Amino acid sequence: MPASTYHSVFKDESKLDINYVPRRLVHREAEMRLLAEFFKYLLTAPEKTAQRVLVVGDVGTGKTALTQRFGLDLAQQGKQRGVNLHYIHVNCRQYRGSLFLILHHAVSVFHPNFPKRGFSAEELLNIFLQILDENNAYVLLTLDEFESLIEREGSEAVYKLTRLQEARLGKPQRVSLIGILKSLKAIEGLDASTRSTLQSNIVKLEKYSKEQLVDIINDRVELAFKPLTVPEETVDLIAELASSEGGNARFAIELLWRAGKYADAEDLSVVLPECVRRAVSSVFAITKKSDLAALSLHEKLFLLGIARFFKENADRAYASLTEAEKAYIVVCEEFEVQPHTHTQLWKYLQTLSNLGIVKKSVSAAGQRGRTTLIYLPGVSAHELERELYTFLERGKVSENRRVQ
Amino acid sequence: MEIEEVLGNRLRLKILRILSQLKELNVSEIARKSGASYRIVKEHLKILEEAGILQHKKFGRIHLYRLDENSIKARAVKALVDAWETIEKR
Repeated sequence: MPASTYHSVFKDESKLDINYVPRRLVHREAEMRLLAEFFKYLLTAPEKTAQRVLVVGDVGTGKTALTQRFGLDLAQQGKQRGVNLHYIHVNCRQYRGSLFLILHHAVSVFHPNFPKRGFSAEELLNIFLQILDENNAYVLLTLDEFESLIEREGSEAVYKLTRLQEARLGKPQRVSLIGILKSLKAIEGLDASTRSTLQSNIVKLEKYSKEQLVDIINDRVELAFKPLTVPEETVDLIAELASSEGGNARFAIELLWRAGKYADAEDLSVVLPECVRRAVSSVFAITKKSDLAALSLHEKLFLLGIARFFKENADRAYASLTEAEKAYIVVCEEFEVQPHTHTQLWKYLQTLSNLGIVKKSVSAAGQRGRTTLIYLPGVSAHELERELYTFLERGKVSENRRVQ
Repeated sequence: MEIEEVLGNRLRLKILRILSQLKELNVSEIARKSGASYRIVKEHLKILEEAGILQHKKFGRIHLYRLDENSIKARAVKALVDAWETIEKR
């Protein structure tokens, strides 16, 4: 038997990773220029002012990539001009919307082993400013999934962050903010003064058109694939599908990667449209993938328990909370962690339901009272199990243990 | 202070090894990692600071200790710990 040689259509798969920030953002040049206008003082007179900007747009419109690219470039320019400027990007949901944990992350940039106990969020905010003063440093802090902070902490936390300077009259301004939101509705619940501070500078990201998606896909094809491996028809099909998913570029890039994987698995030298069709049928609602990544360890374990229940009970439309809890306990055993209490599980179920990953309802009152029923709407239990397993296996367990 | 006086103590050496590896820690964490009490660790940290090996920064109630980057003694301690660890790993 001749030795088989492994051929791949990819030259660098990492360029399709959800965390990859491209050097150049296609079709976001105007928004990049607008951000540069808002924050140009950070390069010329950073101590004089601090700005707050909201970046608003639907899933897959490039909010995270735009701010990360902008922030990293700005920090680099600052360095060249001798300004000690740092860009810090925090996903608020990853820190369960807690102001304390978000600030702790920011402080950790300067002091990686800074303790997590023994002080309040307010003290931590003062410590953060002290560190910046001592280092004569300036920070552009991006609060991604800002909704999460607003939901958990409300007006007061946002007010503290946006009005830092009021208690520091005469001292240099140290922290500028970008808040990333899917919709401005999230700030409607804030008090009027906090809202007015935030609403003055807004960068709105419109959904990508099909033509724009074609350009974005072609840009990634050039970075990630070997020459002539992705035909025009394939790019067009992906753009069409992503366009029907609400102009979601993240969906397009994920689909492109999966289609490449199918091509490799079939030992094809090009990524055919058929690979895209096969990929799309296997894609678990990719818009939810970042939601899964941001879940806490026990939320992931609980969801894994639910997925396993439905996998083992293919004929069942719903699981009771008790059944889900039993499955969760088995999962905890597998991952060698102590299960959380029933009350905590109920909170996790609430979170999963709010995110639309599971659906819950309450059964009609029967002999044994009302029961919470859990559904998996439109998600394959197999696929969900696989996705969660990947997250948990990628060393997320140890990372999350630290956060717990 | 003489070198044998400063380094001739098991706990002080342990503290120096911990800080060489982790760069910077608060007192409670050094105590936890070294298995000694907060009070004892604090005393030894003071000795090491007076000897010009450690420095600390205060943030509210938090005191973060690290090797003094500008101290030749601290650099020598770090080099010793690193060399020792490398050889032990072989």
